[in-house]
Amino acid sequence: MPENQIELIAHLMRRAGFGATRNELEKYNTIGYEATVEQVLETSDPKWMSEYLLRRYHPDESSMLIGLSGLQAWLYRMITTDTPLLEKMALFWHGIFATGYPKVVNSKPLSDQIRMFRRYSMGKFNTLLLEMAKDPAMIIWLDNQQNHKDAINENFGRELLELFSMGVGHYSEDDVKECARAFTGWTIGNTEYMEVRSARDSDWPYGRISWHYEFDANDHDDGEKEFLGRKGNFNGEDIIDIICEEEATARFIARHLYHFFVADEPPVPQWPYQPPRDPEAIDQLVKCYFDSNYDMQEMMRFLFNSDFFKSKDCWYEKVKSPAELVTGVMRLTESVDRPEYEYPAKEQRMQFMGQTLMNPPSVEGWDGGTMWIDTGALVERMNFASEELGRLTTPGAEELFKKISSDGSGEILPDKIVDACLEHMGSIFIQDDTRAKLVNYATANGVVRVANNSIDDVGKESVAGVVRLIAATPEFQRA
Amino acid sequence: MVTEDKPQTQFLKYIRTVGMTTMRGRGFYYPVDSAMNNDGRIYTVSRSAEKTTGDTIRVTMLNEEGEYFGIFGSKGNENGQFMWPCGIAVDSNDRVYVTDEYLHQISIFNESGEFLNKWGSRGTEEGLLDAPSGIAHDLYDNVYISDSRNHRIQKFSKDGDFIHSFGSYGCEDGEFNLPWGLFVTNNSEVFVADWGNDRIQRFTSDGKFIAKYGSAETGKSEFTRPAGITVDKNGYMYVADWGNEMVKVLDTNGKCIQTLRGEATHSKWAEDFLKINLEEAQAREKANLEPEIQYFNEDPHEESSHIEKLFWGPVSVLLDSEERLFITETNRHRIQVYERTNW
Repeated sequence: MPENQIELIAHLMRRAGFGATRNELEKYNTIGYEATVEQVLETSDPKWMSEYLLRRYHPDESSMLIGLSGLQAWLYRMITTDTPLLEKMALFWHGIFATGYPKVVNSKPLSDQIRMFRRYSMGKFNTLLLEMAKDPAMIIWLDNQQNHKDAINENFGRELLELFSMGVGHYSEDDVKECARAFTGWTIGNTEYMEVRSARDSDWPYGRISWHYEFDANDHDDGEKEFLGRKGNFNGEDIIDIICEEEATARFIARHLYHFFVADEPPVPQWPYQPPRDPEAIDQLVKCYFDSNYDMQEMMRFLFNSDFFKSKDCWYEKVKSPAELVTGVMRLTESVDRPEYEYPAKEQRMQFMGQTLMNPPSVEGWDGGTMWIDTGALVERMNFASEELGRLTTPGAEELFKKISSDGSGEILPDKIVDACLEHMGSIFIQDDTRAKLVNYATANGVVRVANNSIDDVGKESVAGVVRLIAATPEFQRA
Repeated sequence: MVTEDKPQTQFLKYIRTVGMTTMRGRGFYYPVDSAMNNDGRIYTVSRSAEKTTGDTIRVTMLNEEGEYFGIFGSKGNENGQFMWPCGIAVDSNDRVYVTDEYLHQISIFNESGEFLNKWGSRGTEEGLLDAPSGIAHDLYDNVYISDSRNHRIQKFSKDGDFIHSFGSYGCEDGEFNLPWGLFVTNNSEVFVADWGNDRIQRFTSDGKFIAKYGSAETGKSEFTRPAGITVDKNGYMYVADWGNEMVKVLDTNGKCIQTLRGEATHSKWAEDFLKINLEEAQAREKANLEPEIQYFNEDPHEESSHIEKLFWGPVSVLLDSEERLFITETNRHRIQVYERTNW
């Protein structure tokens, strides 16, 4: 039997997923940390609530006429998936290859892009980058349909280098132009018709039509190009291969991984001026990038098993994004197993907290970190978590009451209640002074009595009060 | 009973498309079922989406030629309103019945759409409902309802008095998993689209199991999440094979004799739209609406999202008095009409 690693596994699950219930953690603890990492990394056969079920009850999640329709489906999926790392990777890449509705004006291609992230996010980075370059939503988002052989549009070429791979300072303006030339002719099918429909926000006569990538050989510049010091008749694939060989790309991806999975870094525009929080960790990730031939699954395996990830110095060093918070809370309630009419409201709460997936504030995505916290957002975050976790009738709450009452009968001491709630909410490790305040609150709430292995409604309300308060702690709001 | 899908016949041929997408008024917005009265008036119920305004949920009245007779209903829980409308049926007196999966009730209207009555409430006891979806009448105007989340079929009088129910959750004969569309023949046999079990089940009027079609006793089922079923006077079955984005015709032995994938053309309403939106019409004219694309896992849902003429969300099948088949498509907001050949 491996040693008790529950708190470390809880840390892993907050980062590789959206947190875990106590029961899940205890199950993982029986196999140990390393084996849990391997389970988390196994993403080849994801299961979730069922796309058919979702489409039956929410038909707009099929053809997506309404702006940001796919959000609901994504939230359902994040909450009910058995492979949360895949959804975290999709969030990770969505934050980097940030693509938004206002310019695309068609939710289906945006949803397709998220699906593409799921499909390729654990494979080779060069493959993912290539799929991203062919992604119809990305093509429209960065105007590559207007990137012609005789009149280049640099938008995609520039962002590919600046935001998607190397970062500023590692290429010249000439490289941007040559990069753009290599991607001429990379467009979407029926460009004119689809552009007209997007401009008019048209779903007539028979709903949206999905977009598909198309290569227009007649509009592709296949002449010689000079890119990052190399010469050749490069096309888009060649450019991506060259980019992926660059150390700047490895460092850029490594820092993004650290920022998303290990500890909050400053926003990306600060990176040229502010060194990484842990340069040695970045060096190790860079080495893994090249050693594994850009394999993302290997990088994630290395990261989760690294000392810098497991160190307590980085526990709770990330502010949960609204998507992570909402998903984590709903998973803890264990109440989502089928589509419900009221469900779109949950997704709107995420928006009130400052994050609208598929509608990032700019091409740079979300800054993250403490930028998630302002007065309004914090109140919304605490209210949401407290409301959902404080409900007495969810399966999650019933499990907590069952645990508390399983020890026998009589009066349950306040510190026992606090500890049970902390364990139930994902084995949260809190500061002593925070714990003392929670115990004081539980004491003031009145005695909780167990009789016949159950708690009465007054007692349940007292326990729920402690849960609501924990939901407002810095530790719960962080990962 | 195992069905086969070869050889294919030309039992049905496409004749026209009816309807188009509109959020309000003349058109459909996520239509989930259609019914027809004795005069050929079609009632198509649009479920819409939770986040839209109230007038997008409605019943549209039209005929096969695209003549528009107006709408009734809207979002809400007052008389004559809906939240999650799902099934629609017309009785012998041309009264229109609409199920609501959220309000757990049945609303009844006259042929012009004026509200008459409603009944039903949520629960698991006999006579109570949990997400009523499909609805059909027998010759005596008794009402059969797919009580979906209770995984059973319930029979009521036309005024909502409980008569009996049958079925429970499971995958054995006579059990259901989220049943959806259903049809009652003139001799009161009940055919149910047993959605979650990928099959059609057939029962006597009092719920005795007779047969099943398409279930995966060995290998893959004929159907994926079938949503609708109707049967003609000769016993041929027409199945809205919703998850496969197809409609299948089965002979009286349950053998699949034709698979339809959809052939939509411009409806009258679509033509009207394109005539006055020239920029879009001209761009559409130049577009290739049947591109050749490799689909991941050969997913028919994905294919239908790209190729407009194909069925996308074929949810309901309806035969008129001339045995023409009206196929309502949720995601393409239209009805494709097929007729019998001399085959």
